[in-house]
Amino acid sequence: MTIGISTYLIYLAISVALTIWVARTLHKNGRVFLVDVFHGNDALADSVNHLLVVGFYLINFGYVTLALKLGYAVTSAEQSIEALSVKVGMVLLVLGGMHFFNLFIFSRMRRRSVQHTQPPPIAPDAFTAVRQEA
Amino acid sequence: MFSLTVLYDPECGLCRRAHEWLAEQRKIVELNFVPCASDEARHRYPQLNHDLTKQDLTVVGDDGGVYFGPKAWLMVLWSLVRYREWAYRLATPELLPTTKRVVSMISQNRYQISRVTGLNRLTR
Repeated sequence: MTIGISTYLIYLAISVALTIWVARTLHKNGRVFLVDVFHGNDALADSVNHLLVVGFYLINFGYVTLALKLGYAVTSAEQSIEALSVKVGMVLLVLGGMHFFNLFIFSRMRRRSVQHTQPPPIAPDAFTAVRQEA
Repeated sequence: MFSLTVLYDPECGLCRRAHEWLAEQRKIVELNFVPCASDEARHRYPQLNHDLTKQDLTVVGDDGGVYFGPKAWLMVLWSLVRYREWAYRLATPELLPTTKRVVSMISQNRYQISRVTGLNRLTR
């Protein structure tokens, strides 16, 4: 096995492991948020949680696959490590970006659901008597 | 609060169009529309100053809270699923003065706006 092939394989192994780890973290910790958003509807929360994680996997594996190509020959261990640092670094940044995007979605969903029970943003100018319908 | 009564100006085309738009929106709080200074309005709210409600949009909550002018607009936004977020945003101390200015400007010129945009020709 040439050093070039090993570099690719190590890159794939690290990227895939990282993606699975982040996805699992999201899946495990995002559930509490979603259960709250859907007012305790566990089945719906689990379903949405699963769908979000599938999207997360697709985008990240898509990026990992597209970014595989190095474009130059790796001939030494030094070059291999340097190439890995760039590639894995990019994967980490994409994962980080996706992670925060997911958090943003969770928090926005939660804020929306919380707002449904919140009082008006302003106080009334006055109060008047209301005649109830007979 | 479970329902809001909107005392709108039936003679203004812009208000009628807004009324139609509101009827289509999904709501968190029920909206009832009653023409301002009408018999029904006077019957429901015997103590309210009905001449004042002709000047600007007025909203009355089921708890008797009266919201006048820009506040009434904010309450209407607050009742809608899609725009509740905007009601809170527009009511923040930073944005409230601008909100009030813009809403007052539209309210005071509602007949001209209706005429210019052709909304006063709408039937109903």
